[in-house]
Amino acid sequence: MIPVLRREFLGILRSPRALAALLAAAVAFSLLVLVRWPAGGIVDLSGAGSRGAFLVFAAALLGGVLLLVPAFPASSIVRERNQGTLILLFNSPIPPIGIYAGKFLGVLAFAGLVLCTTLPAAAAVYAMGGVDPWRQIALLYAVLLVMAILSIAIGLLVSTRATSPDAAVRVTYGMVFAVAFLTLCPHALTRGTTGLSATIADWLRRLSPLPVVMHLVGQGGAVGGGLLEKDSGVWQFLVCGLGLAAVLAVATILQLDHRLFDRSRDAGKITDDRSLWVRIVRRLVFLVDPQRRKAGIPFYLNPIMVKEFRTRRFGRFHWLLRLAAGCAVVSLLMTLAATNGTMDWGVETIGGLLVILQIALVVLLTPSLAAGLIASERERGGWSLLRSTTLPGWRIATGKLTSVAWTMLLVLAATLPGYLVMTTIKPTMWNQVMLALVSVLLAVAMTLALSAAIGAFHTRTAAATVTVYVVLMILYLGPLVVWAFRGDPFGEQVVRFALSITPLGAALSVIGMPGFTQYELIPIAWKIAGAICVASLIVYALQVWRLLRPE
Amino acid sequence: MNAPTDPVLDIRNLTKKFGEFTALDNLSLALRRGQILGFIGPNGAGKTTTIKILVGAMRPTSGTATIAGADCVRDAWRIKRLVGYMPDTFGAYDNMRVREYLDFFGAAFGIPRGARAKRIDEVLETTGSGWMQDRYVEALSHGMKQRIGVARTLLHDPEMLILDEPANGLDPQARIEMRDLLLKLAGMGKTLIVTSHILPELSRICDVVAIITQGKLRAFGTLDQIMRDLRQKRTFEIQLCGPAQVEGAAAAVREALHQDEREGVKAHATESLVRFDTARSDTELAAILAALVGLKIDVSQFREIPKDLEDAFLSVTRREAPAA
Ligand SMILES: Nc1ncnc2c1ncn2[C@@H]1O[C@H](COP(=O)(O)OP(=O)(O)O)[C@@H](O)[C@H]1O
Ligand SMILES: [Mg+2]
Repeated sequence: MIPVLRREFLGILRSPRALAALLAAAVAFSLLVLVRWPAGGIVDLSGAGSRGAFLVFAAALLGGVLLLVPAFPASSIVRERNQGTLILLFNSPIPPIGIYAGKFLGVLAFAGLVLCTTLPAAAAVYAMGGVDPWRQIALLYAVLLVMAILSIAIGLLVSTRATSPDAAVRVTYGMVFAVAFLTLCPHALTRGTTGLSATIADWLRRLSPLPVVMHLVGQGGAVGGGLLEKDSGVWQFLVCGLGLAAVLAVATILQLDHRLFDRSRDAGKITDDRSLWVRIVRRLVFLVDPQRRKAGIPFYLNPIMVKEFRTRRFGRFHWLLRLAAGCAVVSLLMTLAATNGTMDWGVETIGGLLVILQIALVVLLTPSLAAGLIASERERGGWSLLRSTTLPGWRIATGKLTSVAWTMLLVLAATLPGYLVMTTIKPTMWNQVMLALVSVLLAVAMTLALSAAIGAFHTRTAAATVTVYVVLMILYLGPLVVWAFRGDPFGEQVVRFALSITPLGAALSVIGMPGFTQYELIPIAWKIAGAICVASLIVYALQVWRLLRPE
Repeated sequence: MNAPTDPVLDIRNLTKKFGEFTALDNLSLALRRGQILGFIGPNGAGKTTTIKILVGAMRPTSGTATIAGADCVRDAWRIKRLVGYMPDTFGAYDNMRVREYLDFFGAAFGIPRGARAKRIDEVLETTGSGWMQDRYVEALSHGMKQRIGVARTLLHDPEMLILDEPANGLDPQARIEMRDLLLKLAGMGKTLIVTSHILPELSRICDVVAIITQGKLRAFGTLDQIMRDLRQKRTFEIQLCGPAQVEGAAAAVREALHQDEREGVKAHATESLVRFDTARSDTELAAILAALVGLKIDVSQFREIPKDLEDAFLSVTRREAPAA
């Protein structure tokens, strides 16, 4: 176990990105405290200013843990398996539990190190007064540690099941964010009711660190339109989090055996060669059967684009259809829920939720499709093949972008029925819906261009995916955090500026989402999004051109 | 456009430096149409570097290379049509079947859809891999991947094929199949450049062999020429009709050889033969034979023992290795 731990920990520390993250954390947190330090060094005994500092500090720490930690365990096992070093470990006297513990503690040691670099900042927050060292600061660290443990447990489990590091990274981020955010949704819907579903929803909510951190900061009910409640749930979170992590750990250790290496290759079954009955059934089930022989790529389509669609599991047409169908159902349900009056949400709130659903789809799906556009080719050796073909560089660049753009447009189009119902209920909203949709389209363009540009600078898909996710989460969630703390400590101007960085704020404000209406964000947000988009596209094009040049 | 005797590949004084390190040092060689060039050298010799320069993926520091008259730096676009390139990594895509994979590269070369389907059938047929057209590329075994790799290079019907380590890691059976495939391609009129870090692996089918170590060309020519150039000492056997004359023959051979070679002359009475190692030229050997015949020794065979290719290869690479 010790050798595994040491290798894992040193392996992480040796990667320049981890070091950069560590340094960035230390510098950022020091700056944070400096900026929030009371003017003239006079300690405000009421503690209002220092509570503000503590709040920013806690939010940044939580964001840091959620964004940084999952990347490392996610690729840990699957990368070793693919590189062939895992089988060497299995042939050593270290038992599976030792391998697991070594990897787990190695990543945890790194997470601990990152948390330690923030301790001076915590001390400074404490020195400002008004914050309880045990009941607030120590508990905050405990919550973060448990969240880190849970993230590592999720990452390692995903890593044993995944077939490629970048898929593992994507799934792990998805699951960690589901634990942090989606667990709150059922509770928000069943709030005020009793019964089994309400109890389950209540327990599910305990898994999210969000309400706990908010409570520790002392902002309990103030945030998210009452999504988070007053009662603290700190202990419940610690217990539930550790319990879930333990269950996941056992599940992972049970899988660490010969089965990891004993997977049969896909024999490449094809529907065309099977019996008529199978063909008919598959036709009905899939509509577009992924296992039918494909026709050749027609001349009017960019071969790169078609290739991207065909190589991505998610790009395969039957998956897209399912995703689109799912989105359509969700958006319709949400709109119907609003209209039949079981919930006292206005049409505007529903519109806001639709916008959030769309942007969430954009932010979660786009990087997983776009970050690896160039990196995966370079990682797998496809790039040297592509450049030996007669395809011109601009077709490679545009083919890759359009493959993601079409996917995203299709998925978004599926959420349109919700808007249609909305405008039928309240025809005066037509204009607002149009403005919101333009904002969402701009969000797609900006996210896609940014993901592609950042991803093109990586040689590994997993690393590209992580970097893009981190950047996008900061870009999209950061302004919402600032907005959540509008008034205290952030002033009107700051909130307005933060919201205009992405088109999300603009879309929410035009659709009339409560809490956003007072901000005039169009056209400034559109201009910023357009500028980011154009700049990213230029960077992307330059990088593709650079990579196609002879060395 | 070119006369058949013109060199289809012409490399002149090619040098490539990575910073201070010289990966390729003043390499020159030429190849005629329809020939197979075995480009052979140990790992890190500079084979891949040379190939990357040829296909326009790297720029030489100095020197020129032309393929069928097209300059590898200036006419990069024509080179793409002229050359089918198989890198030393396969370049698999996920969730893609062999046929889709070939279809993609065919489309990337701008082959129209109808012609492409026919062409894919042809190259699958040529490489004997039609039965795996529905397999997923990432699930293929190494040998199958190499064949698909060759099929991919053939798609746009290039004049020259450049294959980087096509037999690397193949089992003996697959290696024989790969050799047959390469011969078949040469038979179709393609010019082939094939690299290998093992001399015997492919050299028997090559018309010309270039041996390169540490970026320098050490030997170039047909396999026989190279073997003759490389070898300091050849081994000969004189088969006699009976054991009686063995000692006399051995004495006569010792007489004709240099002092330092006399040790190596062995008489094997039981097999009726005399074996010796020598660096003498062919004319001097003829003189030895004449002397034996003049002594009325009944020689039934005077033959050279072919030496292991491996030995010859090692002797070059060792000889050129730096003292450090
Ligand atoms: N991009 C590069 N940068 C620096 N050195 C390189 C690069 N590519 C190759 N080399 C070095 O050049 C030498 C020749 O490499 P290569 O041509 O790949 O050898 P091989 O004959 O095994 O194909 C090696 O020593 C290798 O380390
Ligand atoms: Mg090589």
